[in-house]
Amino acid sequence: MSERLEAPSDPEHSPEGEPSPEPVAWRHRHLLDVDALSKDELELVMRTADEMRDVLRRPIPRVPALRGRSMTILFYEASTRTRVSFEVAAKNLSADVVNISAATSSITKGESLVDTVRTVEALGADLLVLRHPVAGAPYLAANLFGGSVLNAGDGWHAHPTQALLDLYTMRSRLPGGTVADRKVVILGDVLHSRVARSNIWSLTAAGADLWLCGPPPLLRGFDAWARRGAAAGRRFTVTSSVTEALRDADVVMALRIQRERMTGGLLPSLREYAARYGLTSERLALARPGALVMHPGPMNEGVEIAPDVAAGAQSAITDQVTNGVAIRMAVLHLLAGSGA
Amino acid sequence: MTAEVLPRLAVGERVAGLEISGAWLVDPTSGREGPADIVVSDGAVEAVAWLDGADADGIGPDGIVVAPGLTDLHAHFREPGNEDAETVASGCAAAAHGGFTTVCLMPNTDPPLDEPGVLGRVLAAASASGSPVRVLAYGCVSARRAGEQLAALGELADAGVAGFSDDGSPTRSAAVFRSALAYAASLGLPIVEHAEDLPMTEGAEASDGLVATILGLRGSPASAEAVAVARALAILAEVAVDEPAARLHLTHLSTRAALDLVRRARAAGLPVTCDVTPHHLALTDEWIAGSRRWAWDGAEDRSAAPYDPSLRVNPPLRSRDDAAACLEALLDGTVDAIATDHAPHTAVDKHVEFGLAANGISGIETTLGLVLAAVDAGRLPLLRAIKALTVGPAGVLGAHAGRRPGLVVGEPADLVVFDRSDRWTVTPATLLSRGKNSPLLGLEVPGRVLLTVVGGRLAYVAE
Amino acid sequence: MIGRQIMTADEIRRATIRISHEIVEKHAGTEGLALVGIQRRGVPLAHRLAAAIREHEAVELPVGALDITFYRDDLSTVAQQPLVKGTDLPFDLNGRTIVLVDDVLYTGRTIRAAMDALVDFGRPQAIRLAVLVDRGHRELPIRADHVGKNVPTSREEVVRVHLAEVDDVDGVDIERAVPEPALAGRE
Repeated sequence: MSERLEAPSDPEHSPEGEPSPEPVAWRHRHLLDVDALSKDELELVMRTADEMRDVLRRPIPRVPALRGRSMTILFYEASTRTRVSFEVAAKNLSADVVNISAATSSITKGESLVDTVRTVEALGADLLVLRHPVAGAPYLAANLFGGSVLNAGDGWHAHPTQALLDLYTMRSRLPGGTVADRKVVILGDVLHSRVARSNIWSLTAAGADLWLCGPPPLLRGFDAWARRGAAAGRRFTVTSSVTEALRDADVVMALRIQRERMTGGLLPSLREYAARYGLTSERLALARPGALVMHPGPMNEGVEIAPDVAAGAQSAITDQVTNGVAIRMAVLHLLAGSGA
Repeated sequence: MTAEVLPRLAVGERVAGLEISGAWLVDPTSGREGPADIVVSDGAVEAVAWLDGADADGIGPDGIVVAPGLTDLHAHFREPGNEDAETVASGCAAAAHGGFTTVCLMPNTDPPLDEPGVLGRVLAAASASGSPVRVLAYGCVSARRAGEQLAALGELADAGVAGFSDDGSPTRSAAVFRSALAYAASLGLPIVEHAEDLPMTEGAEASDGLVATILGLRGSPASAEAVAVARALAILAEVAVDEPAARLHLTHLSTRAALDLVRRARAAGLPVTCDVTPHHLALTDEWIAGSRRWAWDGAEDRSAAPYDPSLRVNPPLRSRDDAAACLEALLDGTVDAIATDHAPHTAVDKHVEFGLAANGISGIETTLGLVLAAVDAGRLPLLRAIKALTVGPAGVLGAHAGRRPGLVVGEPADLVVFDRSDRWTVTPATLLSRGKNSPLLGLEVPGRVLLTVVGGRLAYVAE
Repeated sequence: MIGRQIMTADEIRRATIRISHEIVEKHAGTEGLALVGIQRRGVPLAHRLAAAIREHEAVELPVGALDITFYRDDLSTVAQQPLVKGTDLPFDLNGRTIVLVDDVLYTGRTIRAAMDALVDFGRPQAIRLAVLVDRGHRELPIRADHVGKNVPTSREEVVRVHLAEVDDVDGVDIERAVPEPALAGRE
């Protein structure tokens, strides 16, 4: 038993000489990326999300955990689904939500991010959820903002809540409830994908056998990362061979391919991409029977994923959406409790 | 060891009398360094006495050091056009704080320095500043730096530019570059080329590499520098046949590939020189990921927050191997000079998202510190470092350098005194430049400039 | 740490039996009763009370568990708490008399949070409170209907309840808190 007495956080439930393992404390004031989360912290998020899923199943899916807290959603990129997901999550925790989207505010008049964040803070926000097209923007915000910053996607760099909900979804659907040693394939435009980058961190931390697959120009630089990762105990494989990648996979996550990639000289055409890398039911058949199909959305059906695969029995895509709310509720709850 | 320095003079005043006893004197021209007494009287060097025997006891290169005033081949003072970021006056104050007595300015002002009138404005601002720091300037290679037509090279030469450059950018047209090289040869002046293949680096935020991949930043490949260097060297090889006086100086090289090309070209006898910046020697792209370790220090570090916009610079910070290549090239003589590429910016332009930040580091005041860090770590001999900051740049400037760097009895004193046993913390308050965009903010750098004297007049004295 | 025992295993057992009788007596029967233990140690206590009632009334009362983490009014403490396995109320609350069960009653804030949580699940006819130890220092107007032992304490003291289901032994200790060194890893 430890000599140290924890501060009587809950006096009625004072330190009880803990024969149970040391509680994992959430130490992060912000959630800007998944890189910094330890395996224990990932577990904490997963377990908290379990609780939130229970709350979501109630007739009134609401708890007062964040009552009196104010959350501002500041999106510099249009996105309905993620924004609504955060809004629903916050409201389920009884937080007040303010929405700012770039098109409608002074941002279009050229107000800098620095000034906008200061204004948001002056208006009393405790939590700032930021989506921005330039990598690193949330770090700038975090330097300025007195409360907590949650990165909802910064350029190509990171999308932490997506990686967390992806991990949660895989664990909830895979036999055994774990991704450890499972073959997980991320298929598509890895180079431009913050979803891919964040999933690399979370899945390697969770012990998955991770594969990245796509046409070579869209995998540029990841070989070097894989080599460096192997040295640091975070192993993953990079290949441009779809058959190699998909063979016996337990999970296949397709990434959105964007038209703009053609004009950048990176790909010949979307048709060629779909023909060589699209997730069709024939390709899916290479994976294990019952392998999960996932996609962060929004989908280009017929390009990176065939419609029948997206809607098929193996698809966990709608689970991802539901789990997204639970994960975001979990993360908001942990952040709000971190620095008070 | 004792060193007595006399403050209480105003900047610009002639140094009536100055005695430095028992400092470590570095004379890069002769290659001699050691304990010495120096006396300055009425602005001129009166005596330089090398010490030996008992007098020299206990005096090492790790205390007070005296060297010829430093020369910077590449700085941006933003006057005319962007005085909020820097003026000639504030730039000179910063230069003197950094130990520099001669600075050569790049012409990417607004209006650009493509005709003598603008040079006149810059030089007038220099003399109005009251600082004795010698200000030189390059003229543009092309009119308005647009890369299509030659600027008034002859007129600029007559007005006194030290060379020609379109820096900020490469000379966009190879044909214009070729003509400029030949024309400048007839004027006895070098072309100073910023080597970059623009289509390859479009939109780039950081060097291509592991850090850019992990951080999701658009990469600038090393080959973009090598390709441009190869182009310039190929053209130089042809022009030099007809114009033996042709001279090319490649500025702020940052990659092993480019330095290898220069090494081979020099071995083949081509009239090419080059410089590297202190940040390409001492920092790497790992700093963007949050490291605060010097390039030669192999340890993994993530002690700082990532995406600090003060690290966005062109050419971008590169890998440890490229930084090592810069150091190797400096040691083997491939690189003649360390030039600061001092690039001050306002907070409006810099304190923004990384990918939106202007390129550039305000570095003239921290250059000596970064170089001394390498010396302290045993990576660079002190003499070689001082040479790269004095004799090397003077060689590139040729006649424009004025006298040869050194403390010559009877000549006006042009020197810097710094204390290697001291350190200083870089903060917005301790930087004299208007540009506070330094990635070293909050960090300590080794060595502290105590005194800078230019042409016998006080340029800077420490509190 | 200076500690002393204020309840032995036997005393806990007797108090539990007494409370189980009191609950039934106050309710004049067992019809519509349900026990809800507050995580963490309120839960095994609730099960013990249900077992005792089963013994002397031959009736199986429903038992639930309530996790009040999301109802606290003091979020800063969340970071330090392990997330105990949640809320399980396998019966309809509407119209029932719920007896909340907890190990220690102190400021009353946990009970307030528990009541908030309960009413999100339904509308009980009545809510009562049974605690093993009441240590005083209420900050809210809350009182227990059934108390195992009243223990006057000072604010520097800490009451620790040990139950075999969780801690391998039964007992209640009271300790004087010593100033804590900085917690590693906490910002």
